[in-house]
Parts: sequence; C-alpha cells; structure tokens
Amino acid sequence: MRKFLLIAVPILALVLCIMVMLSGNILKQPFGTEDNISQSIETIVQDIKHEDWEAADQNADHLNRAWDKVVRRIQFSAERNTINDLSINIARVRGAIQAKDKAIGLAELSEANEHWENIGN
Amino acid sequence: MVLVRALMGFVSLLIFTRILGKEQISQLNLFDYILGITIGNMAASMTTDLSSRAWPHFIGLISWCLLGYLLNVISSKWRYVSKVLEGEPVIVIMNGKIMENVLRKMKFRVAEILELLRNKNVFDVTQVDFAIIEPNGQISVLLKPEFQPATPQDMKIPVSRSGISTELVYDGLIIDENLRQLGKDKHWLMKELKKHGIRNISEVFLVTLNPAGSLYVDKYKDHLKKMTDIGDYKGPF
Repeated sequence: MRKFLLIAVPILALVLCIMVMLSGNILKQPFGTEDNISQSIETIVQDIKHEDWEAADQNADHLNRAWDKVVRRIQFSAERNTINDLSINIARVRGAIQAKDKAIGLAELSEANEHWENIGN
Repeated sequence: MVLVRALMGFVSLLIFTRILGKEQISQLNLFDYILGITIGNMAASMTTDLSSRAWPHFIGLISWCLLGYLLNVISSKWRYVSKVLEGEPVIVIMNGKIMENVLRKMKFRVAEILELLRNKNVFDVTQVDFAIIEPNGQISVLLKPEFQPATPQDMKIPVSRSGISTELVYDGLIIDENLRQLGKDKHWLMKELKKHGIRNISEVFLVTLNPAGSLYVDKYKDHLKKMTDIGDYKGPF
C-alpha cells in the first residue's frame, strides 16, 4: 500500500498540476448565459454598429460582470498580461460608448476579441 | 495566482529532483550542477513570471529533467559514454611528482592543488604518493606509506566490530520494528534502561544499540552543571 502511494501521490500531484495549467481552454467556455464573453462582445459590436448606445452601455456592464467571473477561473492558466489587456479593452469600450465613438468602440472590441481567442491557448 | 503557481512549481521540482537521483551537492559534476541551476531557474520563473503561462515553463522543466535522466541512464549503461560525458579521474601527483602537463590540460593551477590537499589535511606535498582529481573536482590523496597513520592492525591491537547503531527509542517512543529486528523486546529494553536510572520511557530522548552490544542513552534532562559556550558574541541571534 505504502509503495503504491509512493508512486500514486506524485503522479496524481503532477496530473493535477498539468490539469490546472491546461484548464484555461475549458474554463473559458461559458457555464451559463452570464459568462459568455464572445457572445457579449458580439452583441456590443452589433449595438455599436446600430448606434444603439443605451443597449451597448448595458451590454458593456454585462460583459464586465461576465469577465470578472471568468477571470477568476482562468487566472491560473492564462498570462497576466493578456488578462490585464482584456480588462483595459473593456474599460476603453465603456469609455467609447459613453463618448458615443463608434470607431474606438469597434477597434477596442476587435482587440478584446483577439485577446479572448488567445487567452489560455 | 503566484501562490498556486508556486505550489505547482514546488511539487513538480520536488518530484523531478527525486526522480533524477540522490547525488549530494558535493558529488555533482559541473553538468549536474548547471542542470540543477537551470531547472531551479525554470521553477522560479514558473512561479513569478506572470507575463507568461505556467505551461511552457513546466514543459521546459520536464524536458530538462527528462534529458538529465536520460543522460544518467546512458552513462550508467555505457562506460565509454560516461567517461566522455562526466570525465574520468586524473592523476595530478604521481610518486610525489606534480604532473605539470596534466595540470595545464585540466586548467588547474598548482595553488589550487595545494589548496585541495590542505582541505584533506595534507600540508606537505612531499608526503603525497598519489593525488587524483575526481570528476566532481575533489581530490583523493594517497600518502606515502611512511606518512600514513598507524592502524590497530599495524599495532596488532585486537578490536571489536563497531558496525552501525540502531535506534531503539526516538523522542520518547520505542521503535518496535528495530527491537524486533535485533531479537530484543521491551522487557529487555526497560531492564537495560533501569541500569541507567530510567523508570519511564518518556524520560529518554534517544537510545541506540551498536552491534558490539553497548547502549547509548540520552535523557531529556542532561543534568549538566556547566555548559560549554563556543559562541564569541552575546546573542540573541
């Protein structure tokens, strides 16, 4: 039994470490409707394209909340820089919506989407 | 985040180094030493370099450990490869003569050889018959017969076998397994301890028995009247 544990515990520990390190791709997938980042980004893109600033503002809040939820799950398997960059993108999108600036809003959302695609990969 | 990554790095490093081998620092050759530094560095980066994911560092760590392990296996299987990879012992003093050519080839200075000799308590080169630099950089010295210390065999003094002592009590607890292996029991142990004025096992910190049959007993209370203090500075440290 002791010999089995001597082999099993290190293997289990390594497998656990690997799982945590590679969990980003799985954990970034939405678990419900409240944490779907890519869908939120797409919705805001449509809102901005149609210049529906009120809906865009609400959806940006929603995106921010979703991002706060997801970031807690993926923080161990993603680069801190990418996480920070995406947070900054979201903050800028909110600023662009307040300023009703279509160009900056769409540019920031496009960059946010790129970061989101790359995160955890 | 750093805490989780530190935990992952710590566990991985611990497991990998255990797999890599039990060589002590003093037995390491230059490559083993560098390997140790490199994998330690990777584990450190894995912990604190948050600008990159932990995974590439882990892969780097596992690759280096795997290569190190592979090298260990290869050198233990093929003697020639081991000689090429790890080097071989080199005689630097032969019959009391320093081999200057060998020193030059090994990029060793005479002062370094003398230092290594002094580390081995040899202060006079004339006493040395052979000196060999081992692959781990340490020196092995064979003194001339007339300078070698006399042994009981030389003096024809009968000696009893000392062997390795076995722990019977550790930290106030009897180690039953060791008692059983020696063919003794608790009754015998208590009888022996009584001779040392011990009534309860919890009074004892350590008891060992050597193959010659002599018992070493250390109590928690040492009853020393005067303590020797080798410190030269009043603490606290």
